[in-house]
Amino acid sequence: MTKKKRPLWPWHLLTVLILVGLAAGIWYSTSLISYEWRWNRVPQYFAYQAEDAQRAADFGRVESVVEDGDRARVTLATESGKQQVVEVARNSLLVAEGDDVSEGDSLGVNRHWAAGPLLWGLWTTLWISVAAGAAGLVIGLFTGLCRLSPNPTLRDLSSVYVELVRGTPLLVQIFIFYFFIGTVLNLSREFAGVAALALFTGAYVAEIVRAGVQSIARGQSEAARSLGLNGAQAMRHVILPQAFKRVLPPLAGQFISLVKDTSLVSVIAITELTKSGREAITTSFSTFEIWFCVAALYLVINLPLSQIANKLERRLAQSD
Amino acid sequence: MIEVRDLTKVFDTRGHVVRAVDDVSTDVARGEVLVVIGPSGSGKSTFLRCLNGLEEIDSGSVSIDGLDLANPKTDINAYRREVGMVFQHFNLFPHMTVLENLCLAQKVVRKRGKAEREDKARALLEKVGIGQKVNEYPSRLSGGQQQRVAIARALCMDPKVMLFDEPTSALDPEMVGEVLDVMKTLALEGMTMVCVTHEMGFAREVADRVLFFDHGKLLEDTAPAEFFAHPKDPRAQAFLRQVL
Repeated sequence: MTKKKRPLWPWHLLTVLILVGLAAGIWYSTSLISYEWRWNRVPQYFAYQAEDAQRAADFGRVESVVEDGDRARVTLATESGKQQVVEVARNSLLVAEGDDVSEGDSLGVNRHWAAGPLLWGLWTTLWISVAAGAAGLVIGLFTGLCRLSPNPTLRDLSSVYVELVRGTPLLVQIFIFYFFIGTVLNLSREFAGVAALALFTGAYVAEIVRAGVQSIARGQSEAARSLGLNGAQAMRHVILPQAFKRVLPPLAGQFISLVKDTSLVSVIAITELTKSGREAITTSFSTFEIWFCVAALYLVINLPLSQIANKLERRLAQSD
Repeated sequence: MIEVRDLTKVFDTRGHVVRAVDDVSTDVARGEVLVVIGPSGSGKSTFLRCLNGLEEIDSGSVSIDGLDLANPKTDINAYRREVGMVFQHFNLFPHMTVLENLCLAQKVVRKRGKAEREDKARALLEKVGIGQKVNEYPSRLSGGQQQRVAIARALCMDPKVMLFDEPTSALDPEMVGEVLDVMKTLALEGMTMVCVTHEMGFAREVADRVLFFDHGKLLEDTAPAEFFAHPKDPRAQAFLRQVL
């Protein structure tokens, strides 16, 4: 029997149809619950025009107002005989020539673009993920090698660590870190949050590293040792590079998990993406829209992460 | 040069005790080629692995140029630099090119400069006949080529002794010859060699002495002509009847 080459596009078309069907179903069911979609309220939570109020420094009179395009320059003559010159946005001007002003009176505002809560939350999530991920990788590598060490104490200690961390919920660990360890050692909430995530990730990375190292055939280590390399050199030059290639997919999965798990540090009042989303909802009441945006922002971090892992995997596969 | 005295290695797996090497004593002189033969599971590979410390010995002693392997003061890594080993399954480092395979230990252990180690590597690859595969990855080479790279890799360290652990057993038949040719050249150049092999032709032609193992015991230790013509031990006689 010969293999016939069949076109693939009908299948891709079917996929698209199923997805469109699902979307239509969701749209129809939301239309039944009389929810008013207000997407126009969302952009301000990404970026908005912040206003800085400009105020009179002392009692005095408005000597002149010079309008220049969309700017206005206000010159004040104060009672102490000095001059104050203030520039404000023209359409926010609150005074006219000849007005008397008191100290602290608002003359107008200056506007500039500022990042909204969702962007700040995205940034916080990002740096917490990177910090916890880097620390977790180091902890995991070290612990994973301890798990394989000939020294029984190192083996036992690393096993206890891995079992303790894997056997308890991350949420509980974050609480313990913040309320117990954080109080005893006087840690900031950010440090406590990052440390809890790093230790949590470290335990899983340790198991991934251990599995990776153990999957490398014994002959590799024997060949390296028979050339005169010591144990550490054989690990560094021969075993770990090969193990790294094998553990890349589970490692990428672990880091993607980590990015999502950062949402849990919102419980110790770190304003990362999820908490920013909750805060945005309290002022906008656009519950559905904001949560969809929050989900999309997590994808914005994680999809490139998968892509990078895939690329790296392909690059390392060149020796196969 | 190599002195083996009362060497014993016992494997104890869940109460199942195997005396893999049982009270073996022998000597290897400089420039001598030893071929170790025997049935499967006779302990010949274990004996070879004991010679460079890949197996910890249970009792007895192994020394090369007076350096005692069992002595805790001996730096085992310094000892192993002087002993090259070639494995049945090549054990090339798959993530490195052929050149990198040859240069790694020179760089890390011998601390040779880049030009020096690469010249050495290229010269040895030329010698084993694969000078044009310098930048290939091992997965692109045939078994015979991989094994020749493995031999070159061991030679890069300028070893005093070369150990071969069934170097042709994992090869397709048509590739056995090219590897044996390299080994013959080495033997002619005066390299001290200990070879575990099933190649009786190689033993007859190249070996200075043949060691016959069975059940961990060294049963024969004679010149090849004598061994193949008049084996003394009945188990050696039975073995030769089967393989020849």
